[in-house]
Amino acid sequence: MDPQVQSALSSAGLQTYKDLLMVPVTDLMKVTGLSFKQVEQVLTNAASAWRSPPLTALQMKLSLSVHCLSLGCPLMDELLKGGLPVGGVTELYGQSGAGKTQIALQLCVSVQYPQDQGGLDSGAVFICTEDSFPVKRLQQLIGEQHRLRPQLTALTSQINFSDNVYIEHAADLASLRLCLSQRVPLLVARGLVRLLVLDSIAALFRSEFQASDWMERNKQLISFSSKIKDLSQQFNLVVLCINQVTDVMDQSGGSSGPSPSLGLCWSNSVMVRLRLTRLPQWVSEGGQHSALRRLEVEFSPHLPPHSLPVAVWRGGVRGLQ
Amino acid sequence: MQRPLSTLPLSSAVKAKLVTAGFHFISDLMNLKAPQLSREAGVSQQEAMAVLAELEQGVPPPSMSALQLLQKEAELQSIITFCSSLDGALGGGVPLGKTTEIYGVPGIGKTQLCLQLAVDVQVPQCFGGVGGEVIFMDTEGTFVLQRFAELAAAAVTHCSLLAEDEEQRVAMETFTVDTILSNTYVVRCHDYVELLAELRLLPSILAARPKVRLLVMDGMAAPFRPLLDDLSARTRHLGGVALQLAAVATGHDVAVVVTNQMTTRLLGGGRSRLVPALGELWGHALNIRLHLHWEGSQRLATIAKSPAHANVTVQYQISSDGFRDVDQSHAAGAK
Repeated sequence: MDPQVQSALSSAGLQTYKDLLMVPVTDLMKVTGLSFKQVEQVLTNAASAWRSPPLTALQMKLSLSVHCLSLGCPLMDELLKGGLPVGGVTELYGQSGAGKTQIALQLCVSVQYPQDQGGLDSGAVFICTEDSFPVKRLQQLIGEQHRLRPQLTALTSQINFSDNVYIEHAADLASLRLCLSQRVPLLVARGLVRLLVLDSIAALFRSEFQASDWMERNKQLISFSSKIKDLSQQFNLVVLCINQVTDVMDQSGGSSGPSPSLGLCWSNSVMVRLRLTRLPQWVSEGGQHSALRRLEVEFSPHLPPHSLPVAVWRGGVRGLQ
Repeated sequence: MQRPLSTLPLSSAVKAKLVTAGFHFISDLMNLKAPQLSREAGVSQQEAMAVLAELEQGVPPPSMSALQLLQKEAELQSIITFCSSLDGALGGGVPLGKTTEIYGVPGIGKTQLCLQLAVDVQVPQCFGGVGGEVIFMDTEGTFVLQRFAELAAAAVTHCSLLAEDEEQRVAMETFTVDTILSNTYVVRCHDYVELLAELRLLPSILAARPKVRLLVMDGMAAPFRPLLDDLSARTRHLGGVALQLAAVATGHDVAVVVTNQMTTRLLGGGRSRLVPALGELWGHALNIRLHLHWEGSQRLATIAKSPAHANVTVQYQISSDGFRDVDQSHAAGAK
């Protein structure tokens, strides 16, 4: 780089490529006193030094090892074509009692299996906002593992499942922000965690803001959703956000059915949206009874909008034939 | 030519020196040589040369008549969408050399249409395609390889069923899922700074890969969302992006397709309306705007803005094979 240009840049306090590129060209000309052509040249040089050349989809296919996390049930994995995607935000929403937390707990266990068993050979971090963490239920699920995967008893007795689930409580937005910006990156960077569960996201944003504060709420929501998206892409995490439902009123004042909370601003940043509905029927199997549920793909870039009947058993959530 | 010197893209220091030395208009500098200018204005020899070089560039490019433009446009093809009713509405598909925006609510099928176009642009010319390559810029991680390969396989099967003559059979040998994947360049950007950097590099990427006929930018709004606090910077960046995209489209005969989210605009009195994000200015920046929306359980596509097409609404569906007509018997006519 031309020494004259270099000194102009450093005296303007522009150190990194990112500093340079985030300033609009006209502003850059003003602060550095350089001509349009020089600025353009500097920016192009910075961009090419910073960014690597594009990959072809074929190269991506060859370099990609695992791109999803199994739910530990062949039928549900089939619905999701292998499981939850790595490097994107999955939302699971439904009414209370639908079984959302059950699926999240099940993932906390299945993430710990090695990759040939559908896991990611790593742990999970579980952020609770409303209820306390259902630790008893997790223990029960762990206890059932040797029965669910009988061919892997050597493995299941070796993994210390409850040691690899990190539990965080975030009762307000400030502590959630702290958790996402400091504690989670620390765990992730050490390779201890590949799954991030948030149960549930709506509570914080619902309770802290009045209806008239929607502008501030949206701003917070945007910064939160870009944060989890960045984390998931940067570290190849699976992110599962559990969401509640809200009744939406239509123009005439009637209800047009429950829809996920937090509105469009949040929906725009979700990659896969799943819905869990509790149905009035009951099913039983081997002396256990469970309310029937339906798990459906509402939208996703790679899944057709299919659904699957599921039930919650002692050993976890399973699809029904 | 009474163009003031202050309009030239020169550094402010040089401009100030020129003005103090009494040079106000471009005509004042005509017939001057670099050493003379450097002496009179008190600028370095190097700067004087830069000023004079800038002047020579100020000459406008030769103009084209409307007839010439029409002929040039008639040569430009379109990328078929595999949905014949949408192709019909767009006059043959998504046009090369133009910028097109697709907007709609989450889950309506914006990414599906982008992935479909990324496959379709590679359909060999003997099948009525463009036979090009594609650059897919992905800001939200929506380029899911699995799904893309699925669409590619469906398109390959579709064309192999249509192959009749020898030329088409030969073309089919190189039109496979693997070649489609290897002709798709994926660029991931996580924030707007990375996006701006990639846009700067586009001209050199396009120069190295002259067969690229489609640039997809899936998720235009998301990277700019953190800039909501600084709307003036966002507007300036977006203005620059729009210019760069237009330059890519016209300069390289590439179809540029960007997707945009919806956002809520308050109308007062407690009423609100869904509008495409990124503001009013952005809406003017692109040639064609396509609105994907729900009507009950039907998916509809409406041409919301286009200088060359009527505001038509057509129905489409998203099947396991991709973006298609609602009536499957029409889909065979995609050729």
